Amino acid sequence: MDHNKKNIDRLFQEKFKDFEVAPNDAVWNRINESLPQKKKKRRVIALWWQIGGVAAVIALLLTVGVSVFNTNEPTKLNLPVVNTDESNPNRKQIEKPIEAPKNSKQQNLNSATDDGNKFVNSDAQVPSRLESQKRISDPTKKNFNSLTTIGKSVQHTVANNANTKKEASTSQVNNPLNTSTAKDNSNTVAENSENSNRTSKPTEVTKLTSESELKSILKNKSETQVTTTAANSTQNKDIENSKLLKPESGVRAENALDPVFEEVSPKQSIQDAIAEQNEIIDEEEKEDEKNRWSIAPNVAPVYYSSLGQGSSLDQQFKENAKSNDINMSYGITGAYAVSKKLKIRAGINRVNLNQSTTNVFAFTGPEIASRTAQQAQPLENITFKGEQNILLMSSEMLGISSAPEVFSTKTAGDLEQRFGFIEVPMELEYQLVDKKFGVNIIGGFSTFFLNENEIYADIGGNSTLIGEANNINDTSFSANFGLGFDYSLSNQWNINLEPQFKYQINTFNNTAGDFRPFFIGVYTGLSFKF
Amino acid sequence: MSLEQLIKNCVKQDAEAQSQLYKQYASKLFSLCLKYSKNYAEAEDNLHDAFITVFKKIDQYNHKGSFEGWLKRIAINTALQGYRKDVGVYDIVNESQVEDVSVDIDDANVNIDFLLKIIQELPVRYRLVFNLYVLDGYSHVEISKLINISTGTSKSNLARARLILKEKIEAYKARSNSQSI
Repeated sequence: MDHNKKNIDRLFQEKFKDFEVAPNDAVWNRINESLPQKKKKRRVIALWWQIGGVAAVIALLLTVGVSVFNTNEPTKLNLPVVNTDESNPNRKQIEKPIEAPKNSKQQNLNSATDDGNKFVNSDAQVPSRLESQKRISDPTKKNFNSLTTIGKSVQHTVANNANTKKEASTSQVNNPLNTSTAKDNSNTVAENSENSNRTSKPTEVTKLTSESELKSILKNKSETQVTTTAANSTQNKDIENSKLLKPESGVRAENALDPVFEEVSPKQSIQDAIAEQNEIIDEEEKEDEKNRWSIAPNVAPVYYSSLGQGSSLDQQFKENAKSNDINMSYGITGAYAVSKKLKIRAGINRVNLNQSTTNVFAFTGPEIASRTAQQAQPLENITFKGEQNILLMSSEMLGISSAPEVFSTKTAGDLEQRFGFIEVPMELEYQLVDKKFGVNIIGGFSTFFLNENEIYADIGGNSTLIGEANNINDTSFSANFGLGFDYSLSNQWNINLEPQFKYQINTFNNTAGDFRPFFIGVYTGLSFKF
Repeated sequence: MSLEQLIKNCVKQDAEAQSQLYKQYASKLFSLCLKYSKNYAEAEDNLHDAFITVFKKIDQYNHKGSFEGWLKRIAINTALQGYRKDVGVYDIVNESQVEDVSVDIDDANVNIDFLLKIIQELPVRYRLVFNLYVLDGYSHVEISKLINISTGTSKSNLARARLILKEKIEAYKARSNSQSI
């Protein structure tokens, strides 16, 4: 019998060694309910929004970066379409009429100085020069004749030119009157010479001249032909000679033709330019008409804080440190371009804000009822929910030495206030830089409609909804100021980045200390013009 | 997911991790709660309270020593708290001290449900001492501190618990034998 006997301890130990019983599922359900679920879910959502917001910003920055650094060619291709419309015609318009005259003027000046001098020279050589253009031709003809005859022997003409030049300088010094009058003449002659240069072909010149003065043509023809051959054979200095010769052959005829010559080509170009410009203006106006409206969905991380040290909750919390999470705001904005620079815009945003007041003791249960009466005045700005009997005290209120034992066993927690608004902004946007990358100044105000208002006690990692603030106005306002940066992806699509400061007005009643709330948001969006 | 990662996620109050942790340890802890409680319902309550405490204080687990041991200590403490709260009710009048002796019993093939039943039927302090000493390896000194009794009382309670259990097992066997005949 004895060996069958067993120590009762061993019996139980063996039997219970692998003893396991699965509890009823109801137990888990009860546990799950007791866990601070609400907080957890909210945190998860908030976290998603934060991560989502950051991801959106990164994605937008990447898009901007990629389009800036990688697609230079496409953007250049895009832009020129606009540029050619706007600037090229202008250039045409400006360059054609202006540059052409410039050239001709320069030519005029050059030829005037060159030829002028020469004619002055010739004047100096021929005393009877001061009378009329007709007479000019005569002496010069003589000169020509001499030149042409001499032209056969190249060296001689060179020498002659050299002589005339030398004489010119002396005559200019000696006879200022002569030179001044001669200058006028030389100018007219110079123009002629220039025109003849333009026409360049001697045959044309001769044709024109033949129409005006038949008599002189024949001689001149032979002369010019001779001189041109001479000019060809001789080099630089002979070209000067040809310049001298040509004008004389057809002075008057060319005078008559001059205006025609000058006017024909510029007139066409001017008319073209005007026509083109008109078209451009039309197009611009059409474009303006087209893109006055734009719409932009946006998201923004927002950070809520106060300018001064204070509390919206209670006097005793005004010294407590506050901490703020970054929340998200999202919404949509529509804008209307009043002028090229100025836009009016309005929108609707959802914005959540929160603020944690740290170092707050919270007590629940019946034992605190008496304490409430003794040590803490009730919090005026918080409406407690349910029958919870909660005492909140700032640790700032309690010196450690004087704190009752109850406090030393408790750890201080946070008082977390969360509130949200529907925001309706009305803003003006003024464009400072109007390029592919634009800069704007934004100013305006927003109206806020309260749609969320909760206060949580966050003690030892557990967040409990204890009530709501009763001093947040249902409708409040803010003054907004910000900078807007936009980058145009195409004629219709823009990426916007707008850091904004919103100073809240009339949000809270009965705040403690210097509590001046504001929030900062970096609004990011994609705007579409239509 | 490793246990360490699971614990870390529980620290972050991740709902998924909490659910997984519960599934992993609920049976073990529930059997423990059943032994320390007077009935099924009380065991469920204790299990509930134990897990709430676990999820609250999981950030205090220092990753040294067995996590299961840590969980069990929390469950045992939860059970003892119930005893401490109701201590006035169950404080039995001064008992005569009983020698701490081993009790032997015929090697009987007894149903574990029956063994659990007779443990639960023990007076609360006998039950706690028996469980702590025999099934969870606490010393009388530790027990005396845990439930605020002297070591002598602890030993006496254990001896009485053994005797009660022995009587009940023998009675059970006699009954089943007579029934089988």
